[in-house]
Amino acid sequence: MSWQLVARKDFEDTVRSKMIWSIVAVFVLLMGIVAVGTTAGGSGDPTASDVIGLFVSLAGNLLIPVTALVVGYMAIVGERQSGSLRVLFGLSHNRRDVVAGKYASRISVMVLVALVTLSVAAVMILGIVGSLPLGTFGPFLVLTVLLAAAFTALAVGVSAMTDTRMQAMGGAIGSYVGFALLWHPFVAGVHYLVEGELAGLDAQGWYFLLLRLDPMTAYRQSISLLTEQYQWPLIGWTNIVEDIPAEQAAGENLLLTNRVAGDLPFYLTEWFGAVVLLAWVVVPVALGYWRFQRADLN
Amino acid sequence: MAAIETSSLTKRYGDVVAVDDVDLTVEEGEVFGFLGPNGAGKTTTIDVLLDFIRPTEGSATVLGYDAQAETDAVRERVGILPDGVGLYDRSTGYRHLEFAIESKGGSETPEELLDRVGLDREAAERPVGGYSKGMTQRLTMAMALAGDPDLLVLDEPSSGLDPIGIREMQRLVREEAESGTTVFFSSHILGQVSAVCDRVGILDEGELVTVDTIEGLRESAGVGSRLVVEVGGGRAENVDLTALSGVTAVDRTDGDLVVSYTDAAAKAAAIHRLVDAGVEVLDFSTEEATLEDLFAAYTGTDAAAVQDADAEAGERGDEASGDGITGRVAAGIGGGDE
Repeated sequence: MSWQLVARKDFEDTVRSKMIWSIVAVFVLLMGIVAVGTTAGGSGDPTASDVIGLFVSLAGNLLIPVTALVVGYMAIVGERQSGSLRVLFGLSHNRRDVVAGKYASRISVMVLVALVTLSVAAVMILGIVGSLPLGTFGPFLVLTVLLAAAFTALAVGVSAMTDTRMQAMGGAIGSYVGFALLWHPFVAGVHYLVEGELAGLDAQGWYFLLLRLDPMTAYRQSISLLTEQYQWPLIGWTNIVEDIPAEQAAGENLLLTNRVAGDLPFYLTEWFGAVVLLAWVVVPVALGYWRFQRADLN
Repeated sequence: MAAIETSSLTKRYGDVVAVDDVDLTVEEGEVFGFLGPNGAGKTTTIDVLLDFIRPTEGSATVLGYDAQAETDAVRERVGILPDGVGLYDRSTGYRHLEFAIESKGGSETPEELLDRVGLDREAAERPVGGYSKGMTQRLTMAMALAGDPDLLVLDEPSSGLDPIGIREMQRLVREEAESGTTVFFSSHILGQVSAVCDRVGILDEGELVTVDTIEGLRESAGVGSRLVVEVGGGRAENVDLTALSGVTAVDRTDGDLVVSYTDAAAKAAAIHRLVDAGVEVLDFSTEEATLEDLFAAYTGTDAAAVQDADAEAGERGDEASGDGITGRVAAGIGGGDE
């Protein structure tokens, strides 16, 4: 199986990247500082959900998507630019082997990174709370691994689709900026066009569905439901592009269960968040593969 | 069955024609030189053979398989040394070879391949990131040999190699040819192609200008190398040098004797015969035919213009490979087989 050879070779090379592990080290350091701060007489009695909340704000919003994009964006276009793609072809690997192998390898690297950071979170919970609530931590782990895979797949897809390293970098940075900063105002704009006003505290189901097409929002919405704590995004657009009185725009009020009338429709449940993430794992790389199959590669 | 056959192969990028209606046949078992200045379309043609790019018109077969429809069959049987390749910096040379052998289902060991390309085993234990251009070139060559391919495609194989490395590479090409492998050898340096190739195809601005043997090229283009002898006393005109094998003409200019030859061995024979006849030989020098001469002869282009283009190409080559100087020295048609 040719693609497995490509995957194994690529994994060996990628997992040795010092940059990836320095980002992880910085993250562990940050988590450590917070842990020390909390145990050395912080406010109140922290719970497992608090630690998960901390993880989401540091890793979910920033570390994991950014590292995944870094891990993935050069996967294929880098081989094109260095000329080593010709060597791979000469070694009887075809385009499918290259895309499949790179995809499998980079996702494996990023899953490893996610598991390392998750184990830090698990150790913190054990240290601070004393026990690990598996009912919460298990789904949290699955969602986090899916988030890592989704952004890696997005980056590999971009890498297969683009002709130059700069285009791929632009695509990677653009996708993060687009999701982290622009997606919510964009969806708010759609709501304004459809409904004639900005979304209030109570809003239509489709509005939240549109929001969670962003993998990071899907992740946060699902974790929020899981921990019953609202997980804030990198930028609190909620205060700006939604029409919510300031005193209500906090904590539990913002949970989907409190913003949508009646029972949550299936597409807003935490497991559907996982489905959205899975779609991100599959769709961009499929598009990238489609383009790559048809491209002139010089 | 031909090793490579293209018919009306054309590749256009917008208005730019990179390869223009090329009909090329490379027979099985021969060493074929693909000659042309940088930018002539050599790499584009090779890229079509490996389905790296798709032709705008026409088609190509490699070892009887369609280059576009039967890509996998082609790639299993071909070894390629691409031009200016970067490998995987964090992996050792050994690991690269293991990967190559495993990918090709080869039965050789990494050590055997290292020995064949003259890369020492100690170097192979280091990550490739620290390799010089020449070492990278040798390693890539070793990878191309993995699995004993039926066709070896070498794109500018001498880039980054010093003169010794170039000779070793030429020896390797001859060894491969003797074992029945077809070699497709692309270069912008005439001397290197003429040193190893049975036949040569000349590509210029995407068009295949001619395909011929080295002998045929010399004869039909009328470009050979010249021996210029400064003679003192003695009656040089009485000595019949044209009878010597490999000598094509003898002229006198400004008192110097100009001997045109196609076989490098004719030089020594000519000097010897002059001395034997009692002619005083004060000094002599050789003027080698260059790629520019050949191009001028075949394409009718202004030799100076070609030279400019080639010098530019050479500069680029120097930056990457430093082969410019050896290129000039070795550029003689008959010079390469010394």
